[in-house]
Amino acid sequence: MQRTTGQLRIIAQDPGLRDSTGNILTTIVDLPAEQLRPGPTGYRVKIIDYDVSTDTLYKEADIGSGVNQSYPDLYKGASNDTLLGDPRFHAQNVYAIIMRTLARFEQALGRRVKWGCDGHQLHVAPHAFAQANAFYSRQDRGLFFGYFTSPTGKTIFTCLSHDVVAHETTHAILDGLRGRFMEPSSPDQAAFHEGFADVVAMLSIFSLRDVVEGLLDIATAGEDLVDPSLLTTEALKESTLLGLAEEMGGALEGVRGQALRRSIKLDPKWENADAPEFEEEHRRGELIVAAMLNAFLDIWVKRIDKIGTIEIKTIGPDGVEHVERKKDRDLVAEAGAKVAAHLLTMAIRAIDYCPPVDLSFSDFLSALLTVDREVTPDDDRYGYRDVLLYWFRKFRIPKAHGSGRDGTWKRCEAELTYARTHFESLLRDEGEVFRFLWENREKLSIDERGYMEVQSVQPCTRIGPDGFALRETVGEYIQILTLTAEEFAKIGIGMPSDIEPDKVIRIYGGGALIFDEYGQLKYQIARHLARSPHDLERQSRRIQYLWDNGRLDDIEDGTSRLAALHLARAGVQGALS
Amino acid sequence: MKPTSLTIRSYQVGFGDAFLLSFAYPDVPRHVLVDFGSTALPPDAPANRMVEVANDVVKVCNGERLTAVVATHRHKDHISGFATNKDQNASGNIIAGLKPRLVLQPWTEDPNLDPKATGPGAIPVDDSKRALRVASLKGMHEVAGAMLREVENSKFLSDSVKAQLNFLGDDNISNRPAVENLMAMGPNNYLNFGEKSGLEDLLPGVETIVLGPPNVDQSETVLKQRSKDENEFWHLRALTAQAAVERGSDPASSLFDQSYVESSGGGYPEDARWLIYRARKMQESQMLGIVRALDKSMNNTSLILLFRIGDKSLLFPGDAQIENWAYALSRPDVRDMLAKVDVYKVGHHGSLNATPKSLWNLFEKRATEKGAPKLLASLMSTMMGKHGSVESKTEVPRATLTEALREETDLLSTHDVPASTLYVEKVIQF
Repeated sequence: MQRTTGQLRIIAQDPGLRDSTGNILTTIVDLPAEQLRPGPTGYRVKIIDYDVSTDTLYKEADIGSGVNQSYPDLYKGASNDTLLGDPRFHAQNVYAIIMRTLARFEQALGRRVKWGCDGHQLHVAPHAFAQANAFYSRQDRGLFFGYFTSPTGKTIFTCLSHDVVAHETTHAILDGLRGRFMEPSSPDQAAFHEGFADVVAMLSIFSLRDVVEGLLDIATAGEDLVDPSLLTTEALKESTLLGLAEEMGGALEGVRGQALRRSIKLDPKWENADAPEFEEEHRRGELIVAAMLNAFLDIWVKRIDKIGTIEIKTIGPDGVEHVERKKDRDLVAEAGAKVAAHLLTMAIRAIDYCPPVDLSFSDFLSALLTVDREVTPDDDRYGYRDVLLYWFRKFRIPKAHGSGRDGTWKRCEAELTYARTHFESLLRDEGEVFRFLWENREKLSIDERGYMEVQSVQPCTRIGPDGFALRETVGEYIQILTLTAEEFAKIGIGMPSDIEPDKVIRIYGGGALIFDEYGQLKYQIARHLARSPHDLERQSRRIQYLWDNGRLDDIEDGTSRLAALHLARAGVQGALS
Repeated sequence: MKPTSLTIRSYQVGFGDAFLLSFAYPDVPRHVLVDFGSTALPPDAPANRMVEVANDVVKVCNGERLTAVVATHRHKDHISGFATNKDQNASGNIIAGLKPRLVLQPWTEDPNLDPKATGPGAIPVDDSKRALRVASLKGMHEVAGAMLREVENSKFLSDSVKAQLNFLGDDNISNRPAVENLMAMGPNNYLNFGEKSGLEDLLPGVETIVLGPPNVDQSETVLKQRSKDENEFWHLRALTAQAAVERGSDPASSLFDQSYVESSGGGYPEDARWLIYRARKMQESQMLGIVRALDKSMNNTSLILLFRIGDKSLLFPGDAQIENWAYALSRPDVRDMLAKVDVYKVGHHGSLNATPKSLWNLFEKRATEKGAPKLLASLMSTMMGKHGSVESKTEVPRATLTEALREETDLLSTHDVPASTLYVEKVIQF
């Protein structure tokens, strides 16, 4: 029988996370099975182990086929020296984490997803250069992982850090889902790529049971039964989140400075999340990471509360009976991995429910809440929506403009004309969706001015917690209007006081369209060009922000900006200006 | 007592800064040398141009001591002239011979903050924010040095990238003889925003206001930069660059065992070539990105001085860019002072970033209307074709800024001065 799923061994987090005997903690992950060429090169990833700093090409990893039999577990029981010193294992590690991350996106979205760059196979260089950086480059169609020397003289490979690989992979996927998110817009949009990539990376790691168990064991000395006092929100924050932060030593510090660690540490100062530093794009992403991780902890604790306790009776030397109530470690870890996996699915699906331009963190929150309501209309036992609302609000992220009282997007209630569009075409043909939009432009508040294009239409099948499939079609359109500053001022968009009147400026609008299984428009999540006072205000704010930062004329290819953003997060002064 | 006039000599040092401010007083004149360095002399200038300049300063001082030396920051194009030699006849020896009564430098040059341990891997003993900042500057020197060695060994960097990397790398490597000479030639004041310059008694009637650089606490109030992160970043870069250089010279320290190497230095399979080509291009832009970041960081240590004499004010900002300026510009009292500037030494040889829009727009004496009198004078010391590129709109001096300077100010640029001319003068009467 042909297999669809394979398993490969990876380093669970990074070489710093060890088991009780001092061995690097590895784990086996599921990923799509395929017949690999040496490299490995598969249908989505092409690993080429070239190091530009030493001008050296390393030998390919030959994993073989996972289709007719399972992939060989070549590194089972391998020593730490082998894991660190064999570049072919590094190639396997990177390949497996990228494919696992991609599979998580495809599974959550219920459809195939593209990379943000051209081509089906993403190029990956696991040891690209001797530099403390790793990044996705759209124009170079690939992911590049650097290596560097730590203060203790050890070589740190960024390709061996699960979170770094998952983070960079997420950039490539998010860029494919929402190519305009790299455009200059607002601090929120600029920060979203980083924040979201960190959220996906962290939740991916916590959805690995081995990691959760490994972290719990450090706090509980590996006991099978855990005292409930170690399972409170505070205690778990200490043992697992901070535990992970401590383990994330070298690679992170070099690549992104303290950013992720700070997100996890949830500095009490964060209560003051409207401090000016969080207006800066390289710090702002930390807010969504903090909100999501706090929500994760809260829901995990709610699940733990529902795990039964085991009573252990002992007779003390004084003859008095002592009763201890404990919880099963495996169940606790499993609950944590489940919550992480569920939140990860929600976070990924939320992208479909985000406007394709001028994104704000509030939009992401409302998208998350809507996703959850769609698959679990009666808020489930663990109250995901309430918890998310609470934590996002705590970090000064309110529900989005245009959302309902519960923070979810309002359903489209306009009486739309479907008479001249065909159901089947509407599910896959951009031209057909454009016609539908054009014919309903008045009811959908779509500006007639400027350029409009439907960028994608994709049917998807999402599986709810009850196992039933939710069929939706997701479309995306964008609008562009190019005028002079003076002309924009005339239509009511406030302009910076010192801008030249004849300066040519481009503004964006656009929306996500969600059609239900009968081809009826369920949601239009839009940021219109310049219809309402709110639109005018948004456009004005965007122009002012870009003008102040000297980026109004930037034509973004996305590449240099991400690399620069990484430098800024690592602490380099002025890397973004 | 007040000065009666000021003569500013802008020396023709190509890509560099050297200004001599001579204040005339009823008794004896007083002279302040602001910066003295060059990374590239004009092609037709004599090779001993820096000695010529130093001798000219001696002539102007006419047997008197120099009142003060200002070294705005430690870039070669601002301090190379201060370097000494064994024979004691270098331009730096000549200036030291004038026994300046005071040497002004930014706080980042304070030797007490210098990490004593040297070499990559050294952790500064003092981990105060100030010391960390100084340590990160040291890391930058190391990165620049390692980068130069990498450029030398590289087989695939394009000539234009090599030229840019060499130029920036060279400007950013440490300049020990000049730094030590500055330390020793007279009493030093290491300054940050708002501190007394120490020139009060030496230059009667002249108010010297320090507008930059901000110290770490001041800087953090406007920029929210984390000195710890930045220090660690440059520290790791330096270690990594060092290890890469060692790897290049010693196969034993290679990244992986030789048995894992498919090929090295060429003969790559066709499948790998596309990525190899892209990776090399990317390496070029990464190296440029890093060297530019450290160049900028170094520029931002610049001492910014505002001299006020009666109702005239003169602004000497070194090469400060927006990150340095931000603190001063955040203060309304400073903005009021800047509005009144009469003479502006153009920052960073006319690069766009060193004259932030928010500063430029403050200058009230610009001739913003056609035909209006140009009440603001500007001094620019620069040379074309050395820094940045026209395609990326980063050329120095930047064409759009030069145009604005010509249109709205009375511009005196060394670019317009033949290489054979040693200096041009600007006289201001009080």
